[in-house]
Amino acid sequence: MNEVTKKTLSDIPADLLNIPAREFGFVRSEDPIMDANFETVSRGFFKDAMFRLRQNKAAIAAFWIICAIAFMAIFGPNMNEYHFSEQFSDYLNMPPRIPVLENFGIFDGSRLVTNRRLDSLENPEKFPEGCIIGYSNPHEIMGVTLVDVEVNYYKYIGAEEEYFWLGTDHMGRDVWTRLWRGTRVSLIIAVLSTMSDVIIGIIYGAIAGYYGGKVDMLMMRFTEILNSIPSVVLATLFIMMFGTGMWSLVLALCLRGWVGTARMIRTQFLRFRGREYVMAAQTMGVPDRTLIFRHILPNAVGPLITRTMVAIPSAIFTESFMAYLGLGLAPPEPSIGTMLAAGQTVLMQYPHLTLFPALTISVLMIAFNLFGNGLRTALDPTQRGQE
Amino acid sequence: MGKYILKRLGMMVLTLFIMLTLCFFALRLMPGSPYDSMLDNPEMPPEMLEAMKAKIHLDKPMLVQYVYFLRGVVFEGNWGTSIVLRPGVDAFTIMKERIPASMLLNVLSLFVCIPLGILAGTVCGMFKNRLPDYLISFMVVIFISVPSFVFASLMQYFLASKAGWFPIIYNVSGTPTAQLRSLVLPVLALSFGSIATLCRYLRGELIETLSSEYMLLARTKGLKRSQAVVRHAFRNSMVPLANIIIPMFTNILGGSMVVESIFAVPGIGGMMVDSITANDYFLTIAALMFYSVISLTTTLIVDISYGIIDPRIRLGAKK
Repeated sequence: MNEVTKKTLSDIPADLLNIPAREFGFVRSEDPIMDANFETVSRGFFKDAMFRLRQNKAAIAAFWIICAIAFMAIFGPNMNEYHFSEQFSDYLNMPPRIPVLENFGIFDGSRLVTNRRLDSLENPEKFPEGCIIGYSNPHEIMGVTLVDVEVNYYKYIGAEEEYFWLGTDHMGRDVWTRLWRGTRVSLIIAVLSTMSDVIIGIIYGAIAGYYGGKVDMLMMRFTEILNSIPSVVLATLFIMMFGTGMWSLVLALCLRGWVGTARMIRTQFLRFRGREYVMAAQTMGVPDRTLIFRHILPNAVGPLITRTMVAIPSAIFTESFMAYLGLGLAPPEPSIGTMLAAGQTVLMQYPHLTLFPALTISVLMIAFNLFGNGLRTALDPTQRGQE
Repeated sequence: MGKYILKRLGMMVLTLFIMLTLCFFALRLMPGSPYDSMLDNPEMPPEMLEAMKAKIHLDKPMLVQYVYFLRGVVFEGNWGTSIVLRPGVDAFTIMKERIPASMLLNVLSLFVCIPLGILAGTVCGMFKNRLPDYLISFMVVIFISVPSFVFASLMQYFLASKAGWFPIIYNVSGTPTAQLRSLVLPVLALSFGSIATLCRYLRGELIETLSSEYMLLARTKGLKRSQAVVRHAFRNSMVPLANIIIPMFTNILGGSMVVESIFAVPGIGGMMVDSITANDYFLTIAALMFYSVISLTTTLIVDISYGIIDPRIRLGAKK
């Protein structure tokens, strides 16, 4: 090595080797530094996810719809003077009537009453002044001409000063108040059951995934057995045993719901348990609890949020499903499901009793699904392009 | 393989036994009894009520009742008798009468949703991020989100009652054509969700396959796009589809519980709703067990079919 250096040095002309030290100087030491600072802000995972979420217009719209419905669920029941369990025995099954909109021919409290005698239309005792909007379908039965009369039902039964915005049900209760109260109850049930899902799922999945081995095998075998029972059957049995309260509904919904969360968390734990940083922390004597919750769990937050958003609409669905099976909330407390189930029995006569809860649950479910899809795409970039 | 199936069958029987026990005690602990309505009847002497209870062992302690019931189920195939809905009739007989209507409904909706779902999914996958894809994807979101019973109610009101295109409820005694016509709405209501699920799944699957290298090879070989899609991409995308279609059957069956009672289809679902409200113990147990058996069987079939469809997956292999 030394020889080589000597050889090369001897090749260099002597005058170049003997430059005095003072002739050396820094090149361009006065010049401005041209390297620019990074102008982009460094983005963490969640900032990145938020950015992607904002790009997704449908998800943002869905988010605002959910907010609007939640707002109505909180304040809607107090927007008029009626109470959700207040019964007006004179005003049963009233059609919807809203103050300003009634002038435009919608929500004007009109209803078709069928097979009335044509000559009775003039009788102010049967049809009070100004209540008739029009009549149609004249037909003759046994010498009497019958018609179907479209009346302003509020004037017809002498309740002109009342405004039931979405009508009343078969017990004379205001549908508007009940609808939003029911939405509130349904949302509370859904959110509570999803929260318990997530909490149970995290703890169960974390323990199974972190400790592994026999513990894992036993715990997973248990979830397999639980999972093989159809969820509807399980929820039905549970509600039958513990009655039809809100809490038993919540518990019945999360009875099997947590299994999915637990499995997801377990997979994440199996993936990260062997990582170097975990082992390093372990060697330094970090206790298990800190390792589980501080070091490994944050990796699962993305899928966890997505799961939660998907679980909420499915809980709303199951709640209404149970109501149809006759296992909904006990009256008079409304929920979207019980209102739907009650409206279904009189669907042909009073469609408004089914229509409004049906619309609400549909919009709510669509919004939650769109938002959930958006979140999934935002939090898991590998899913992009798929739905 | 054989050993694995045997093991699974054993597990299934065990689960069913646990379910049966759970069902039995859950129903007994439920408030109310099937005789509630008869108690108010002044013409019903209390001795007669006691005699009725004694006949089906309802007067004995709960554990004894359970032993009687279990013995009946296991050794005689006797699932108890209906108490309220059709007093004195064997629960198993009622189930046998009810199953065909439910099955007809479910199989029909499978026939509707498999071709439609595959068609829609293929269109979406082929025209990814273009107008047809957007239109169908929009519909998919609606179909997946809105519950089947909401669809059922809305269609019953608008298409059957208002427009008069279809009968409002199921036509039991009409000609086969009239019967089929009255089944259109319930079948549609049940199919929408499954069509959407199928479409969404196939779309994702197809998009992944279309961008794979062998598709590029097929095109370089000189195949037309349509040829390449039909012969190569489509077949590969269909493989995992089988595992979606089989559980779909259980899903449709679950949804049909409510849809059946909306359209008054004389199937298991409607009967279960009635028997729950009437506290008809044995009938409810029979219906719940029916759903459990179907669901367990489909899970088993799916797990076995994994190995048959995709031999790379070994059954029962140790991790």
